[in-house]
Amino acid sequence: MNSSVYRGKSGQWAFMTHRVTGFLVFCFLLMHVIDVSLVNVNPHLYNDVHGIYGNVFMRIFEIGLLGGLVFHSFNGLRIIAYDFFPGAIKREKEMLTVVVFLTVVLMIVGGWIILHPYFFPESQ
Amino acid sequence: MTSTLEPRAPKTSVVDQPRLQRRPRVNTEVWSWYFMRVSGLVLLFLALFHFFITHILNDVATTDATFVAKRWDNPLWRLYDWALLALGLFHGTNGVRFIMNDYIVVPWKRAAAKAFVYGLVLALFAYGTLSIVTF
Repeated sequence: MNSSVYRGKSGQWAFMTHRVTGFLVFCFLLMHVIDVSLVNVNPHLYNDVHGIYGNVFMRIFEIGLLGGLVFHSFNGLRIIAYDFFPGAIKREKEMLTVVVFLTVVLMIVGGWIILHPYFFPESQ
Repeated sequence: MTSTLEPRAPKTSVVDQPRLQRRPRVNTEVWSWYFMRVSGLVLLFLALFHFFITHILNDVATTDATFVAKRWDNPLWRLYDWALLALGLFHGTNGVRFIMNDYIVVPWKRAAAKAFVYGLVLALFAYGTLSIVTF
């Protein structure tokens, strides 16, 4: 039996996704501190490096970042909810459904707004 | 770890179990637990609003050095960004500490990994703070 699988139900996937999204957002933050700090070193260098954010691949990455942030944020609220209100754990599956729903909806809406300037630059 | 299949726990929910008779001892892990919840709640607003400003309200391509200069003209935005830097780094470091405690079992490897992460984070925290203050 694979010891890394703990009954493998929704709660475990929520836990793993919380971990993975948290770790990835943290890695992004470490990089982001360096790229923003370039503004102090040399504004032109900052602008050159920062131009990468407008690249279509980077924009797709940003949609993923949004998804990671939203999932981790709202799943964090879900954890807090049943830490402080133990009765709420009876509704943990429903709450996870809400978290996933919000993540997907905000990724679609946010994704459209983030990609729009790339595909329709004239509308800016 | 190689654990054999254990019988399933009896079907009682966590809620039905008797309450702890006395409060658990308050130690650093309890503070860590509170810190994650409090910083997480604050970060929810700080991080999502930051993302909203830099990717939704503005196109990310327009957030150049001039954009940063205009924002950091206001000390409150510097405070906002510094709070996001500090809470984000330390909330994240504590999360990575949980991960290292869970997955790195060899003591010297765990100590080395922690030394690396803490050193990196402290350096970036100092560098980021310096950037915000001296801009």
